Amino acid sequence: MAILRTESLTKTYGSPDKPIYAVNELNLSVDEGEFVAIMGPSGSGKSTVLYLIGGLERPTSGKVWLRDSDISTLNDDALSRLRRESLGFVFQFFNLIPVLSAAENVAMPLILDGVPRPEALKLANEALTRVGLADRSSHRPAELSGGQQQRAALARALVAKPALILADEPTGNLDSRSSDEVVQMLRQTADDLHQTIILVTHDPRVAAYADRIVFLKDGKIVDDNRLKGQGNADQIREQLTKVAFS
Amino acid sequence: MTTKRNDWRATVGQMTRMGLRYLNGRRLRTTLTTLSIVFGVALIFAINLALPSMMDAFKQSMSSISGADIRFTSTSGVSFTPESVLPQVSGVAHVQAVTGILSRQFSIPTVENGALGSAAQIQLIGIDATSATAVRQFAMSEGRFLQADDSGAAVFPAGIADFAPELKIGTVFPLITAGGLKLYTVVGFLAEAGSPSAPEIYIPLKDAQAAFNQPGLINTIEVSIGAGADREAVTAAVQAALGDGFQLAADTNGADVVGSMEVGFAIFDLLGVLALFLGAFLIFNTFRTVILERRHDLAMLRAIGATQRQITVMIVIESLLQGAIGTAVGLVLGYLMVVGLVGVIGSMWQTYFHLPAIQLQANPGAFVIAIVLGMLTALLAGYWPARAAGRTSPLDALRPTTTASVERAARWNLIAGGGLMLVSVLMLVAGAKTAAGGAMLFLIGMMIAAPGLVIPAARLFSPLLTLWFAREGDLARSNLVRQPGRAAITGSTLMIGLAVLVLAAALVSAFTGLLENLAGRSFSSDILLTPQSVGIYSGVIGADDSLATRLRALPSVAAVGTMRYAPSTVNSEPVQVLGIDPNEYPKVATFDFPQGDAATAYSELGSGRTAFITSIAQSTLGVNVGDEMVLQSAEGPQTYRVVGVANDILTFKVAVVFISQTNMAADFHKSEDILLMANLAPGADKQAALTDVQDIVKDYPQFTAQLTGEYRQTIVDLSASAMMFFYILALLIIIPAAMGLLNTLTINILERTREIGVVRAVGGSQKQVRRMVTAEALLLGIFGSAMGVLTGVAISYGFIGAFGAIGWTMPFAFPLMGIIAAVVVGVLLALFASILPARSAAKLDIIRALQYE
Repeated sequence: MAILRTESLTKTYGSPDKPIYAVNELNLSVDEGEFVAIMGPSGSGKSTVLYLIGGLERPTSGKVWLRDSDISTLNDDALSRLRRESLGFVFQFFNLIPVLSAAENVAMPLILDGVPRPEALKLANEALTRVGLADRSSHRPAELSGGQQQRAALARALVAKPALILADEPTGNLDSRSSDEVVQMLRQTADDLHQTIILVTHDPRVAAYADRIVFLKDGKIVDDNRLKGQGNADQIREQLTKVAFS
Repeated sequence: MTTKRNDWRATVGQMTRMGLRYLNGRRLRTTLTTLSIVFGVALIFAINLALPSMMDAFKQSMSSISGADIRFTSTSGVSFTPESVLPQVSGVAHVQAVTGILSRQFSIPTVENGALGSAAQIQLIGIDATSATAVRQFAMSEGRFLQADDSGAAVFPAGIADFAPELKIGTVFPLITAGGLKLYTVVGFLAEAGSPSAPEIYIPLKDAQAAFNQPGLINTIEVSIGAGADREAVTAAVQAALGDGFQLAADTNGADVVGSMEVGFAIFDLLGVLALFLGAFLIFNTFRTVILERRHDLAMLRAIGATQRQITVMIVIESLLQGAIGTAVGLVLGYLMVVGLVGVIGSMWQTYFHLPAIQLQANPGAFVIAIVLGMLTALLAGYWPARAAGRTSPLDALRPTTTASVERAARWNLIAGGGLMLVSVLMLVAGAKTAAGGAMLFLIGMMIAAPGLVIPAARLFSPLLTLWFAREGDLARSNLVRQPGRAAITGSTLMIGLAVLVLAAALVSAFTGLLENLAGRSFSSDILLTPQSVGIYSGVIGADDSLATRLRALPSVAAVGTMRYAPSTVNSEPVQVLGIDPNEYPKVATFDFPQGDAATAYSELGSGRTAFITSIAQSTLGVNVGDEMVLQSAEGPQTYRVVGVANDILTFKVAVVFISQTNMAADFHKSEDILLMANLAPGADKQAALTDVQDIVKDYPQFTAQLTGEYRQTIVDLSASAMMFFYILALLIIIPAAMGLLNTLTINILERTREIGVVRAVGGSQKQVRRMVTAEALLLGIFGSAMGVLTGVAISYGFIGAFGAIGWTMPFAFPLMGIIAAVVVGVLLALFASILPARSAAKLDIIRALQYE
């Protein structure tokens, strides 16, 4: 069953008479529990697609359906509520609040949603345990390594039990060991919790963990490859090169 | 299942926690930003805490102890004849007995008169023994009370033992009177303790009338009412019998002084409000910087689901926290200021004004005003940046602002700010009434225009910069221009500090000019005889004409001019009435006549009921030359015509009506000199003449004789030290301005870490990077200084003009020294603020800088 569906999703920049298409008539459907990687050369519109799905950016035309609701028509407050209740974000730069501890950072979406602090912190600690940071919960971001910070950010994305996790180059700023750790954790989340994940990456080794890879070029889907977790980094790299120069 | 509460209430606790941690993480910046709130709150709190306490001390000294049922005095405070009123009062139903009293509280020169021990002031009460004992009971502890035929006898309350334990029955002691020192004999002690601050001395009415040079007059009516009578009804009946010229004796004495004290305190309150205004601006600036700095954090919070309102609430909470810290520290500082004030000024207060010690009292009003103003300032200053923060789009963090929109916004700023400045200039030149408003509007206009001025200013000043920074200058200019908003905030902060510096310099030179001018003109005499306190004459005992006569008799003295005092009111506004002799006074003193000319004015003052008024009186009473006004006098309301506006150094800050001494004697029954000035004969030896005068003054210890030049210098020196206050104010405001500069430079460098890495990677030396940052700081400093100088000139013009509205007309002198000081301070501050950021930029690790987000 599709948890997410886009209908002729289009985003243009520049003047209306001379538009630059970042996303062009995109139709994408993601099933519940699916782990999807979006790949493509620079400027292919992969991050824009993620922002449109996450309600961070408004489409020029087309629709985004999350379950049964069209999020492209929601106002700012409703979008905010949607983000904290149904979506979890992981960014390239970990974007943790420097003055809050790991647990407080993780608890933030719950606190913003009106969950009392003790309860929010309890849930945050559970999420941190899941990502292996139980012993780091009282540390500030500056006291954590890059990989640990990204795992805390992942815990924050998971804590509200969102319908969908959106990850924008989550390993882009990590060394290969931490990068592996984080992506393995994403894979495990998908497996254990039947969590739907959409991940944007340019790294074939990361994409190889996904169930499905969607290749974009010029804002359009040029290939949709269902791997079922059996991906091979070299094959993916080859395919990416092919897409880029086609 | 998780429980949820209302969405803003749930987050407040968390936001407060975050706010505290953010503030704590930037302790230096928090401290410096909060400083101006602290200063403003402290000032306002101190004034409102001290004012009622000082007023109380003052009123306590003015009210006298009485055992009578009802007491009445004349509305104006002047003396009157008993025959004109006592029969009417005794005719009122239920009035049992009536007596007339002449009493006055005055300071005694402690040095010359140790006869009353440590008493600094006394209340001399002249009573008619026969009728007074019918009105109240005088229980004796020792000796006897006054009798009808007494002369030179005195009765003290028991409490005098605290001041002068050596006084016994039969002790003979000297007392200053208008006719010089007179001897009195102690005949008895009352059982009651009496006033703790100004002991009462009861003497026969005739003696008191002689002592005050008011023969046949009384100034208080005391009434006792029959048992069981309705006190209020009797009071009303007595009031009706006496008419409008009389009122219940309450705290009416010294109303003129209390009034001028209130004016003085209002000025301090105004300074407190100004400091808070600047505090608000600095908080506003800091928060705008903070929001730029934290836009990643804010955008991330939006991305994970924070609503616009939650972000706004977060920033508002943070500014309120800062307001709360500032207010709390300000209250403590304000309290310490009052304690210091009472300690330092209090002793002056006791010796100069001879008033009882100030007892600080808990005053809830002072707390409420200070707390409300402090918090309100923070709230207002934080609200707009908070609103802007709320509008942060989740993607703002990832996307740079386009130059086009920045430039367009900057152009609008220039148009709006320029328009405001244009209006403000019109208000500045329109006159005294709109000048202060114009000054503030100019400041605001400049602040609004600032972002639009960054680019032209950078173009204008960068050729200057390339003189020293040939290679780095251009880079620095383009860096500055890239964030005009931020450069404008910093420039504006510096602008305010420097504008206040220019204003301080301008005000000091204007005030000093005014004072020196007035001091030079006011005292054209050679020798001056001043009473215990100058300017406040209600607690002063003067001299009858024997002193002036003896001075005139000295061969070295050519002319003697005197001044006499009576309290009065015009339309219920308290005024000082000063009597001068229109023929003698111009020989020894000169008035500054903003309206009317001296010769005509003096000749008119000699004929009919005519008066000069001071500029302050002109503005508070709303009368002009040619107008008539009604003065409450001992002879009832009298109409005087204003023939001139005249100021001198002693009166320019109080509401004074000058009339002829002839009219003063006729209408106010006063012929006691409270200030004397003497001119010497040509060729007379000043020192020798002073010695002669001092010999005579020994008989009048209430006076001090000195050379006028020395007294003038004392006044000018005193004023000069008071002017330091303006500079302190300017300094306090410059400190946060420096902090603003440091903030901006640091953030600019953080933001450009990668660029600096590139500059270094392509071969820029550490020194070049350092020079680039220094050049940028310098350009910012010059920009802020230029705005500060322009604004400073405008606001000093406006403020000096505004003083014209309350009667202090001062010429505007172009504050050249202030401008030079402002430019030097601005440039030095910029260089100083750039040291740390320049060093850290130069020391950046190239590889890491290139990898920085």
